[in-house]
Amino acid sequence: MKKYSYVGKSVSRIDAFEKVTGTAVYTADIKLPGMLYTKLLKSSHAHARIVKIDTSEAEKLYGVRAILTGEDIPHRFGIYMQDKTMLAIEKVRHVGEPVVAVAADTEEIAERAVELVKVEYEELPAILDQRDALKESEPLVHENLHEYKHAPFIFPEPHTNIANHFKIRKGDIEAGFKEADVIVENEFRQPQVQHVPMETHCSIGQWLPNGQINVWTSAQSPFAVRQLLSVSLKVLMHKINVQVPFLGGGFGGKAGLHWEPLVVFLSKKVGGRPVKLTMTREEEFTTAAVRQGLYARIKTGVKRNGKITAEEIEFIWDTGPFADYAVNVGRASGYSCTGPYEVPNLKGDSLTVYTNHPYGTAFRGFGHVPFHWAIERQMDLVAREIGMDIVEFRLKNAAIPGRITATGEELKEDCGRVDECIKAVAKELAWGEKVEQRGNKLRGKGIAAFWKAPAMPANTSSSAIMKLNEDGTVTLLVATTEMGQGTHTAFAQMAAEELGVPMEKVKVVTIKRTDYMPYTWQTVASRSSFMDGNAVLRAVRDAKDKIKDTAAALFGVSKDHLVIVDEKVSFRDDPDKCFSLADIATCGTLPSGEGIKGPILGYGVYTAERLTNLDPETGQGLPALKWTFGAQGMEIELDPETGDIKVLKAVTALDVGKALNPQLIKSQIYGAIIMGLGPALSEQYIYDEKGALINNNLTDYKILRAPDIPDEFVPILIENPQRNAPYGARGVGEPVLISITPALGNAIHNATGVDFYDLPLTREKIWLGLKQREEK
Amino acid sequence: MPLPKFDYLKPESVRELVSLLAEQGEDAKIFAGGTDLLVLMRDRAIRPKYLIDIKGIEELGELSYDEEKGLKIGATVNLNEIIKSDVVRERFGVLWSAANSLADPILRNRATLVGNICNASPAADMAPALLVLDAEVEVASKEGERTIPIQEFFVGVKRTSLKPGEFVCAVRVPNPPEGARGDYLKWGRTRGEDLAVVGVAGLAANSGKKLVRIALSSVAPTPLLVPEVKGVFEGGGSLEEQIDKAASIVVEKISPISDVRAGKEYRLHMAEVLTKQILKQLLGAS
Repeated sequence: MKKYSYVGKSVSRIDAFEKVTGTAVYTADIKLPGMLYTKLLKSSHAHARIVKIDTSEAEKLYGVRAILTGEDIPHRFGIYMQDKTMLAIEKVRHVGEPVVAVAADTEEIAERAVELVKVEYEELPAILDQRDALKESEPLVHENLHEYKHAPFIFPEPHTNIANHFKIRKGDIEAGFKEADVIVENEFRQPQVQHVPMETHCSIGQWLPNGQINVWTSAQSPFAVRQLLSVSLKVLMHKINVQVPFLGGGFGGKAGLHWEPLVVFLSKKVGGRPVKLTMTREEEFTTAAVRQGLYARIKTGVKRNGKITAEEIEFIWDTGPFADYAVNVGRASGYSCTGPYEVPNLKGDSLTVYTNHPYGTAFRGFGHVPFHWAIERQMDLVAREIGMDIVEFRLKNAAIPGRITATGEELKEDCGRVDECIKAVAKELAWGEKVEQRGNKLRGKGIAAFWKAPAMPANTSSSAIMKLNEDGTVTLLVATTEMGQGTHTAFAQMAAEELGVPMEKVKVVTIKRTDYMPYTWQTVASRSSFMDGNAVLRAVRDAKDKIKDTAAALFGVSKDHLVIVDEKVSFRDDPDKCFSLADIATCGTLPSGEGIKGPILGYGVYTAERLTNLDPETGQGLPALKWTFGAQGMEIELDPETGDIKVLKAVTALDVGKALNPQLIKSQIYGAIIMGLGPALSEQYIYDEKGALINNNLTDYKILRAPDIPDEFVPILIENPQRNAPYGARGVGEPVLISITPALGNAIHNATGVDFYDLPLTREKIWLGLKQREEK
Repeated sequence: MPLPKFDYLKPESVRELVSLLAEQGEDAKIFAGGTDLLVLMRDRAIRPKYLIDIKGIEELGELSYDEEKGLKIGATVNLNEIIKSDVVRERFGVLWSAANSLADPILRNRATLVGNICNASPAADMAPALLVLDAEVEVASKEGERTIPIQEFFVGVKRTSLKPGEFVCAVRVPNPPEGARGDYLKWGRTRGEDLAVVGVAGLAANSGKKLVRIALSSVAPTPLLVPEVKGVFEGGGSLEEQIDKAASIVVEKISPISDVRAGKEYRLHMAEVLTKQILKQLLGAS
């Protein structure tokens, strides 16, 4: 195996100092001269016609500089489905939807002005369950859905509440079920949940009279923000500069466009003064976006020998009134709907449906976390039905090289091995051995596998620039933002390795400005280390080529004779004949003193390879740049008297291809398990009968805290390298969150003999479930 | 989110405070830790014209112990001060345990015991502990001073028996009977910080004069002492039987509701579970 200096080593994060000392700058820290502050008047109704808005009293308040209502910004926004306006027009579609925005000298004044605005509503019947949304008798959330622009791979159904209907058809579904010995059908549910980033959404906008638009924002993807602003406002891109500093957590909730257009318009109204909007924690719950809720129905046909013959899968996603990313969540979940298994005959329908709940967007895992709850619980239920061990059943159907995925893709030899991951987790949990019971508590263990590919258009690309500085140090420009995931550290490791310089001499620029950063599509989809990583490697190779060009000209030899080692470019067979990188960073210098060539700038690109759009009727095609496979397991202790669950051990095995930085991957796993156990055990949106969220705060929306953390974490990194990946490495950020909930659900059955189908698995729900069984 | 507009007053003596309260009446709110008050103001649930910060009044910061009179906890004493006190830990275990269960260590730097009872939430963690300890609330106003037994202090959800212009200067906790042990068991939705789904405080002396006191949070409009429990242990039957009987009395006497935090059925069940658990623990049953 090749020896590396930095790649594969657990080097410390390059941003540790800023993060730990508090010197890292986030959007909320930014204060510009003349800046104004925004507050929002939000809808108190789930669905209502706006009869009248009276802003006259608010306008009189000293310090109020601008008030906007829906009519002031008629533009429609949305990354894949342009169904959203910044402020409600004609009607409100969820509690928390902004109706009026005020910019004032201080937040206090803006807030007082908002209180002076009077809005008269006429209530409309609301859709508060995504299955109701499909009934013909129900009202339409969007009457003009048929007029909205959308991406070509999204299929809304006009004059219904269906924002996207993704279909997958493979093999012969009827024949498949006929062939089956046993058919098992179940329903599963997962309510809406929240990203809960430490940093709430924050944007500053400035629209100058000369047409220049400046945006500072807590967004994951600066180029997506620029693109969407440009398209919706019809402003040329070179006139828009989007700047993103450090992010205090994104988890998908800051992907795409959020409130940037609103502050830009407010700024326009006040002649170009910068205008800032910082969401409160309460607004983060109902005004910013959520993870859409899922209803899933799965019908599986299986032979007694354990081979799955057919599957019918239906997902209904509750996306609230705006489909934003959610239409693509529906699509991505649809093409991965089987989980990491081969299903020869398949009928899958993934519907993204409008309701009057808060709106849905991307969330770490992009739909895979909710639907794996369904599919991986179903795998256990089916295995038990035919009396087969759940590990054996999974291995029998596992999506291993040579097998065909739901979209008809034949998995390649280098795609990664889910079977190895399942076996590793089973071994760590001593699967097959009985769990030792202690006292009145019940112990049990569960396993669930997962897979995920980046969900992105087929023609997605990345680029990177490497600057060789005058002293031979390196500055990397890559537009992937830093939100905790550690990709910048991986880029520095790769660049140091490829160029042969110490890592301390590589800088990755933190603040992303679309004005000078090279393009990358988005910081989403666990694609950055892979795609931007490939671009970084190519940028470094391009720079090396130019370094050798200069050196070759100075030596008067072909550059094939030259190598770059230890910060020097030298003769391959005579290391003493060399120039330092610093010597030729700005140009080569001949003995006469004359300069030749010039400053070294490397440029590299990477475009997703061999992907295709999917057939609109059958979903067949190639959606996956790579699959990350894995499995997760839990050992738990459950108190039947109280319903309390303690996670004794949480195991995650995944095929990373190559661990670029094992410590960072392990950190991702630890974080994911704690994040994932939240919606598994306690997190959920709870509404009143009129669609108002009654737990819009961290008092009653229970995220986990230190005492809830499992006793033991076991990360297992399996390395079957992927050929087209940088050093063979696949994405890990999202995948490690995916199968925590089903592993827990399966462990609960193992401990108690009771099956749960709906999340979260609260203490109360567990106690009630066990009690109901006793009463039967 | 900014707070609604208010004027900030900071008296330096109790005299100054009571005359401010007399002047401003219902327009003023007392500001000690602010951990309940500021949240209510932020939510626009209340809009006081004046916040009277009492942290500048030195005598309200008293946390003292007297062999005869017992413990005195001033209005500005925060929970971490109570937790740090050896006397509280050794002699008032139920109070110490309740203080350790309230919110989290950071909030406990601000949150006060007196504020917790004045907020009068049914879920107030300090209240059941004070109920089993038979505490007294010392109250002052421009008209003078009076003492309210803790049992009479809570009159409804978020309502106390304080009259306009009155404020709580301190809580006095008499010495528990010789050999008494106490604890507070709190059940939340998660293992981490949470408000009580049910909280049970117990105080019991197993030797000499037999005494058993149980009080609960989050199961009635006010924190609730269940005095009927005492009689069970004065009668016959094995300890196990007595404990079961006591728990069934508790379930009879409480009236929990279903809300965002838990259903009524679960609260009834957990009140029974925790009552049994605390009694077994305090009375030394196996």
